[in-house]
Amino acid sequence: MKKRSLRHSALLSSVLVSLAAGVSATGASAETFRWASNTDPQTMDPHAVNSAPVLSFLNNVYEGLVRRGEAMAIEPSLATSWEPLVGQNGWRFHLRENVTFQNGAAFTAEDVLFSYQRASSEAADVRSWFAPVADVTVVDDYTIDFVTTAPNPLFPDSIANFMILDKGWAEKNNAVLPASDAENFATMNVNGTGPFVLSSRDPGVKTVLKPYSGWWDTATHNVTEAVFTPIGNPATGIAALLSGEIDFIQPIPLQDAKQVESRKGFKILEGEETRVIMFGFGHEHEKLLYSSDVKDANPFKDPRVRLAASHAINMASIDRVLFRGKIEAASQLVPAGISGYSEKNAARHEYDPKRAKELLAEAGYPNGFSFGLKCTNDRYINDEALCRAAASMLSAVGLKAKLSTGPVRDYWTQLRADDFDMYLLGWSPGTFDMEHPIRFLLHSQDDAKKLGSWNFGNYSNARVDELLPLIQQEINPTNRQNLIDEVVSITQKDAAYIPLYTQPLIWATKENVDMTQRADNFFLLRWVTVN
Amino acid sequence: MFYFIYKRLIQSVFVMLAVAFLAFSLFRFVGDPITQMTGVETSVVDQERLREELGLNDPFISQFGRFTVDMLQGDFGYSFRTRQPVAEMIASRIPATLELGVVALLISLVVGIPAGVYTALRPRGVITQTILITTLIGISIPTFVIGIMLIFLFGVQLGWLPTFGRGETVNIGFWESSFFSIDGWRALILPAVTLGVYQLTLTMRLVRAQMMDVMRSDYIRFATARGVPMRQLYFRHALANTMVPVITIIGLQFGGVIAFSIVTESVFQWPGMGLLFLESIRFVDIPVMGVYLVVIAFFFVVVNLLVDLLYVAIDPRLRV
Amino acid sequence: MKEFIKRSEGLWLFTRSPAVMIAAVIAILIFIGAAFAPWIASVNPYDLGSFSLMDGLLPPIWQEGGISQFMLGTDDQGRDMISSILYGARLSLLIGLSAMAIATVLGVGLGLAAGFYGGRFDAIIMRIADIQLALPAILTALLIDGIARGILPPEVQQDLRVVVLTLAIALSLWVNFARTARASTFVEMNKEYVQAAIIMGQGPIRIMFIHILPNILGPLLVIMTVDLASAILLEATLSFLGIGLAADSPSLGTLIRIGMQFMLSGEWWILWIPTLFLVALVVSINTLGDFMRDVFNPGLR
Repeated sequence: MKKRSLRHSALLSSVLVSLAAGVSATGASAETFRWASNTDPQTMDPHAVNSAPVLSFLNNVYEGLVRRGEAMAIEPSLATSWEPLVGQNGWRFHLRENVTFQNGAAFTAEDVLFSYQRASSEAADVRSWFAPVADVTVVDDYTIDFVTTAPNPLFPDSIANFMILDKGWAEKNNAVLPASDAENFATMNVNGTGPFVLSSRDPGVKTVLKPYSGWWDTATHNVTEAVFTPIGNPATGIAALLSGEIDFIQPIPLQDAKQVESRKGFKILEGEETRVIMFGFGHEHEKLLYSSDVKDANPFKDPRVRLAASHAINMASIDRVLFRGKIEAASQLVPAGISGYSEKNAARHEYDPKRAKELLAEAGYPNGFSFGLKCTNDRYINDEALCRAAASMLSAVGLKAKLSTGPVRDYWTQLRADDFDMYLLGWSPGTFDMEHPIRFLLHSQDDAKKLGSWNFGNYSNARVDELLPLIQQEINPTNRQNLIDEVVSITQKDAAYIPLYTQPLIWATKENVDMTQRADNFFLLRWVTVN
Repeated sequence: MFYFIYKRLIQSVFVMLAVAFLAFSLFRFVGDPITQMTGVETSVVDQERLREELGLNDPFISQFGRFTVDMLQGDFGYSFRTRQPVAEMIASRIPATLELGVVALLISLVVGIPAGVYTALRPRGVITQTILITTLIGISIPTFVIGIMLIFLFGVQLGWLPTFGRGETVNIGFWESSFFSIDGWRALILPAVTLGVYQLTLTMRLVRAQMMDVMRSDYIRFATARGVPMRQLYFRHALANTMVPVITIIGLQFGGVIAFSIVTESVFQWPGMGLLFLESIRFVDIPVMGVYLVVIAFFFVVVNLLVDLLYVAIDPRLRV
Repeated sequence: MKEFIKRSEGLWLFTRSPAVMIAAVIAILIFIGAAFAPWIASVNPYDLGSFSLMDGLLPPIWQEGGISQFMLGTDDQGRDMISSILYGARLSLLIGLSAMAIATVLGVGLGLAAGFYGGRFDAIIMRIADIQLALPAILTALLIDGIARGILPPEVQQDLRVVVLTLAIALSLWVNFARTARASTFVEMNKEYVQAAIIMGQGPIRIMFIHILPNILGPLLVIMTVDLASAILLEATLSFLGIGLAADSPSLGTLIRIGMQFMLSGEWWILWIPTLFLVALVVSINTLGDFMRDVFNPGLR
């Protein structure tokens, strides 16, 4: 009996507490910032998964030796300066002093070495960043050397998302390596040097951050609490913003931008991602898989056929109707503004259906042919609609595309199994340099050297393969640009891919919130001001 | 009686195993977990190593065997995506789904039974016709359209109710409940109505049909002839007689409600099992999908068992 | 004689109920429109060469900017809405009717047999039904879709999506038929005429199909109409969850799924016209189903 009444009173008090909580929630202070995105970061471990939602979120908590500023350029973070090593290949980083982790431990070179070992271990998904690294040596408490196997001018740029953990904390909590089967302490807990600390986490439901008072840098934001909720359904997300339940959402569907803007109290942040959307071909396939008329050959082996496809695409209409005038057409695999972008080859193949038909006739297909076009329907903005429109445009010149669209979850598997004639792909250069897509998309497939790993159709050009290592090691910017220009020119003439456009970036916020939209679609709380 | 229960239990275990087997065999077709778990820069060699580590290269039968044996030992494995223990992940989502399902079912009963009785007693009235037509339209619009319409009407335009999530919840032990705060109840209304519309229509029609049947039965006619007052007749005798089949069917439907909450949970970002399941499909999180299916099968089996026992309790002839 | 009275009574009832008549007219119109879509529609929305992105997002004719070539406007691809809807309804009905037919044959066959033979056979069928019930339709669809992808050659997969989807829906519907057929068979089995037929040594197939089946047709017909409606809705829901048909050969459900993207953007017609159409279709079918129930079960009148 006693027990029962006890439970009753516990219940009663929890009701009272919840009522109080309900009241305080409605009257929350203006600086509680609520935001939503379509994907939940799947882990709080910065080395476990190399995916944008995780890295973007954890950039609020953890920091690297260098960080990217509002315009994507790298700037000092935990390292105050860095210079090439003398007498050997690699870089020396001078570390910031008087930095403390959120648990109070001091930051030293030992933590960097430990984080390197952790992030380059087999259990870490980010280990590819350290493929060029031969050795790391601690010089003193605030100096550390990264020795590389070859000259590597871009190394500091490539580790902007390499986040530093506290060695003592990781060792004490059995999180020396990223979790590989079961979770470990670092999956759900954080201890960074960054501007925010994790205050609570309910994966897939709600994650709360609070400012870290001991942050070494001057805080320019005025957020006292930040609540993140993943909202998968785009319409639900927009509704949540318009009803005032959240302050900010990234991204929103293009077609809703006008509606959000027209409402009082809301605004749109528009920009361009660094991701270029393109079509690729099965270059090395002996025959078409999905054709009903050409069964014993692969017309896409002929550059004229690929050029014809490129001339058949009317980017102006795609922009106007599907993207509401919000996209920038692309001429190469990176957008203008990315380092290595080839100004000399900035003109894209123009829309010219007559020329396309002529090219097809020259190649021996005056009546065209049918083939399969593979696309995702949940990976890129308007990907399915884009492919439907493109298929219709290709059909108009005789390239009768049989479209098949599907979710991304088994898309890469199909592409890796060479199950396509032509396919859609979006590529964002992880290092923000043209070398990245050359390495992954244009160099011939070479598993041993880890090159061309996303070159599904295996486009192969001996000269391009020869140029890649030269580009990687060239220190002189002019010479390097000349080498890159040559690659872009070759692959453009070959129509190795059909670059279409740069993916637009549309965020929506309440009018009284100021923030920075970075081109990698990362959202950083340290740039948020709630007015 | 005991033999009956024993037999049903054996059958239930068989059903659960079969569901697990089917579920597991479908995962091979959903997609490749590895490409979902790794970044674009991960090399093919590293991907292959991970695949080997997770046992994805083993023959199907040995993967299934491992899954079943582990599960029977209470080891539900770890999520590929978040690395958390699957048992914990699912358990933390069960309250949200069950509360949503129960409230949806309650709505369907509280509205459906009176509506059913009314439309049975006044089959030609204007109100009856209106109710019948409205519910007919209600079940003819896809659930996801109803959900979004409700969100925009009551959440955005009128601003009366929250558009997503569970609102404030209160922990009663491990159970995270929406029932003990006003905010929680407000968040429950729209999803529960969306999920309940179909059940409501079903309940109403069932009660109406049963009621009309019973009203025509000899026993009611006899009672009328004996001069039992109409009100007492309707509610004490007629309605009581309709309740047994109604409760049975509703019990059986509860499993369906739980399974169908997938769509509602996705529209309202309701953090229940269905949403977790949809996410795990998206990321090919095989362990989570597997356990979810077995849990859903378990609900079905338990409800079926209860309904059968109810039958036995009512109809003594089955107690052989 | 009994059948005749029932039928003529049904006819009489029909003429007395305006709602049912309207429903019948709507259903018939939609069926005709769907069946003759290739001859009625101005363009073939499945032929990618027959429409142009340039015509995209045109509003219906009564709204500013609408043109007479596209009475109900165009979608984001420049497809004529009327043509898309007619073809979409055609596909939806095709899927719905085939799924219902498969479910009926499968369910009634198994249900009859289970009811007739009883015992272990019955137990096995009913356990399979339990398993089916425990697997939500979305999972059945995923399973069949996945298996199809595993075993079919790539060039036919796209063409067979309709078949795959139909099978998936059929499999999630057959249990209703099986349970109803089984229950009715149990009842009929105890009646004298069946017992007499068994004693006379008639074969089981003959007894099941000649004696029992005609007597349980009424409830089955009612389930068939209700299930036709749910098959069409289920297809729409599967499409919403991303396992429906491709967007270049849309059913009504796919059109609604595509239209959802334009709910807020001002192009209301892309969502609401197909939705209205779907609702009209499903409400008509359900109304006819109710009507049939009343005819076969006079107690409910």
